[in-house]
Amino acid sequence: MKPYDHNPVVEMRNIEKHFGPVIALNDVSFDIRPGECHCLLGDNGAGKSTFIKTMAGVHKPTKGEILFEGRQMNFDSPRDAMEAGIATVYQDLAMIPLMSVTRNFWMGREPIKRVGPFKFMDFKTANEVTMEEMRKLGINLRSPDQAVGTLSGGERQTVAIARAVHFGAKVLILDEPTSALGVRQTANVLSTIDKVRKTGIGIVFITHNVRHALAVGDRFTVLNRGKTLGTAQRGHITPEELQDMMAGGQEMVALEGSLGGTV
Amino acid sequence: MSSTDAAVDERIKETSKLRKALIRPELGAIVGTIAVFAFFIIFAGDSGMFNAQGVLNWSTVSAQFMIIAVGACMLMIAGEFDLSVGSMIGFAGMSIALISVTLQWPIWVAILLTFALCTAVGALNGIIVVRTGLPSFIVTLAFLFILRGFTIFFPQLIERRTIIGGISERAEGDWLAPLFGGKIGNGLFNWLAEMELIGVFTRGNRMGEPIVDGIPMLIVWAIGLMIVAHIVLTRTQFGNWIFASGGDAQAARYVGVPVNRVKIQMFMFTAFCACVFATCQVMEFGSAGADRGLLKEFEAIIAVVIGGALLTGGYGSVVGAALGALIFGVVQQGLFFAGVESSLFRVFLGVILLFAVILNTYIRRIITGER
Amino acid sequence: MKTTIKTLAVSAVAATALLGAGTAMAEGERYVLVSHAPDSDSWWNTIKNGLALAGEQMDVTVEYRNPPTGDLADMARIIEQAAASGPNGIITTLADPDVLSGPIRAAVESGIDVIIINSGTPDAARGLGALMYVGQPEYDAGFAAGQRAAGDGVSSFLCVNHYISSPSSTERCQGFADGLGVDLGNQMIDSGQDPSEIQNRVTAYLNANPDTDAVLTLGPTSADPTILALEQIGLAGEIYFGTFDLGGDIVNAIRDGVIQWGIDQQPFLQAYLPVVVMTNYHRYGVLPGNNINSGPGFVTADALDLVAELAGEYR
Repeated sequence: MKPYDHNPVVEMRNIEKHFGPVIALNDVSFDIRPGECHCLLGDNGAGKSTFIKTMAGVHKPTKGEILFEGRQMNFDSPRDAMEAGIATVYQDLAMIPLMSVTRNFWMGREPIKRVGPFKFMDFKTANEVTMEEMRKLGINLRSPDQAVGTLSGGERQTVAIARAVHFGAKVLILDEPTSALGVRQTANVLSTIDKVRKTGIGIVFITHNVRHALAVGDRFTVLNRGKTLGTAQRGHITPEELQDMMAGGQEMVALEGSLGGTV
Repeated sequence: MSSTDAAVDERIKETSKLRKALIRPELGAIVGTIAVFAFFIIFAGDSGMFNAQGVLNWSTVSAQFMIIAVGACMLMIAGEFDLSVGSMIGFAGMSIALISVTLQWPIWVAILLTFALCTAVGALNGIIVVRTGLPSFIVTLAFLFILRGFTIFFPQLIERRTIIGGISERAEGDWLAPLFGGKIGNGLFNWLAEMELIGVFTRGNRMGEPIVDGIPMLIVWAIGLMIVAHIVLTRTQFGNWIFASGGDAQAARYVGVPVNRVKIQMFMFTAFCACVFATCQVMEFGSAGADRGLLKEFEAIIAVVIGGALLTGGYGSVVGAALGALIFGVVQQGLFFAGVESSLFRVFLGVILLFAVILNTYIRRIITGER
Repeated sequence: MKTTIKTLAVSAVAATALLGAGTAMAEGERYVLVSHAPDSDSWWNTIKNGLALAGEQMDVTVEYRNPPTGDLADMARIIEQAAASGPNGIITTLADPDVLSGPIRAAVESGIDVIIINSGTPDAARGLGALMYVGQPEYDAGFAAGQRAAGDGVSSFLCVNHYISSPSSTERCQGFADGLGVDLGNQMIDSGQDPSEIQNRVTAYLNANPDTDAVLTLGPTSADPTILALEQIGLAGEIYFGTFDLGGDIVNAIRDGVIQWGIDQQPFLQAYLPVVVMTNYHRYGVLPGNNINSGPGFVTADALDLVAELAGEYR
């Protein structure tokens, strides 16, 4: 099964975003299909954050349209986007370190158990599901009660990913999940991405590390100074070419051929 | 990449069940409670501190602290402070006095109106904090002055006094007043007195009756509030939202926790607790004074911090706060029993606070993995 | 867990050291004096000294206790605590009968002798079953001072009330107004306890009401900053100035002519006499047949030397 045979889950067409006089995004088009890992690459300040925040419903585009499963969508808040199935795992805002893994996992969507007129949080179910979902992604927690602060960076990313998967995300946006991690932790996160992709969820993997992108990516889109420099499929581009595009796009014309005319 | 990579890190030692049971937010407070009781049993064991009258004395004082500490604890876990608690106590008491004595309305009306008024002020505190984004420290500091000012101004304006008495007479026969000023377990204590297990009055028109003739409702309220708050915090969805709001408001908002609502409700709960404190006090003493509750906000915060809560929110325990209040009350009254010069009370308090915070920080780092 | 144990050990040692320092053990009876004054009120130092001296002379144990913030509800708890510790007698003030009469009556009825000092009235003391009242009836003292000031030609005044929440403070002002034969109205200000605030408020009031004839302060807490305020605005010695209670600065001001008179309620006696009376009562069964008025006595510039020498200590 090739992921790009499917219709896109989310399609962003000709998105523009202005902050006052600053044009943060200029005519960006992007799509994500079920079961693929679409890497969004770009140097710092390229507009990656603005772009994913637009997709996640934090910002409204100044121009352009967002299609979700073929229908035009207008997200008013991150909550709307989340309800629709677009989950975002931010690099630092994902988890509350002081709280336990279970409490973090279910935060905002706690399972309820009724005892007479009173409603309690169903910790038994919550703990079991948390452990199970984490196990599916290859992490055996010591205890669901342990604070997230005691987990490693990679494990924290995994909790956030497991949470999004459990709550029915169709698209998972990962904002620089590997940037603060060591080699081993990075490998863990990349393997998690691979596992999640196989369940049919579309993943948007934001990174500025070409090697991380190439390890798991199916398609690669490079952003530079608010513009897309094109989308390439796996096997049609070399690490050096990607690196050059991120660095400034001077070689864009030269690269056009090897990108298969998708510019 | 195979799943074996993600298996348990072999460098993390297996922790024993005992250690796991011990390492909890309340640990510091539990250790402190044991230490404090051991101390006073040694130094004040025969001073009357542990007879019925003595026990009632320090447990009443502890219960007072406990009521406001429970409120302050919930609010602190939700990430906010309320410095207006002490002023709120004075304000609520005066409100009951003015409505019942000056306006001559029934006590139950006065109590219900006062509760409505206080929780509304609490809500106002909360709304201002979440709307403006100002630190609650500043907003509630403003209310500390505003409420205390009104508490002095209104009785002066209306009654030309700053202490209004006569509430006991008004409360006689009222259906709601005993819920705050009454006592329970009367029969038990009469029986204990008959069995000569507790002391009795030796003269006056109550001769032969037990000196301790029941458990004040104040103590019942303290324990009741502690249990309810503990269950809400640890066992319910709302409790999870309280932790989340204080732990990281932005992260909580991202997953749909109504952070602003949670914080406002916690401000209201804190005001409610202050109002319970004030109502019990007014019903017991029969008068309201403009200086009631002075500095109680700090005493509440100290009890909460001794109990292991994190000043910046997101972490803490109601049981810990209640034990903190117990430590506070036992030390405050126990020093008198032990015959220590009363001006040294603050020295003890400071020492206990310091050690409690150091110990709590150490425990918290183990639990949460903070560096 | 090493830290825990170390912490406990250190605090236990520290506590033990303080405990040893704080206790003054003596043979025989034990008496507890419970005041209503916050820690910051320096006037009560005289009471402490009087109490300590009486304890020494009579060879009894004496303890002084007070609510740290002056909260009377806390004071009620302290009286209950004192009763629970089973002393021979309790000496306390009746700053608010509503709050304090319950605990005091319970103490009396559990067999502890009580003497009411300072705030309160002889009638209230009798009503609670106390042995006697030692002090200065506040309204009467204010009234006497008001009559004296009226005789000196005063017809308007400023009452600087630094303890507005205590009814007895207000009674002093009210008595003074009634003694003058004028309405109290807005002539009483809530000055707070902070010296510089008191100074500023007095200055502000006198600037706003330049035709004020006299200033009445209720103790050193309000008198000392008021003296400074008057010196600053050039009214020291010009405006008629009377005060309740004595202290070092007040005595100097009386000598300098800034203050016309100080009403001495002789707090020393309020602490000293109850200990003496109760000790003799408990040892020999003798008890004076009446209440003791420790004041008011007017202290003026004449015969000031002894007062000056002992002001703030025993006077």
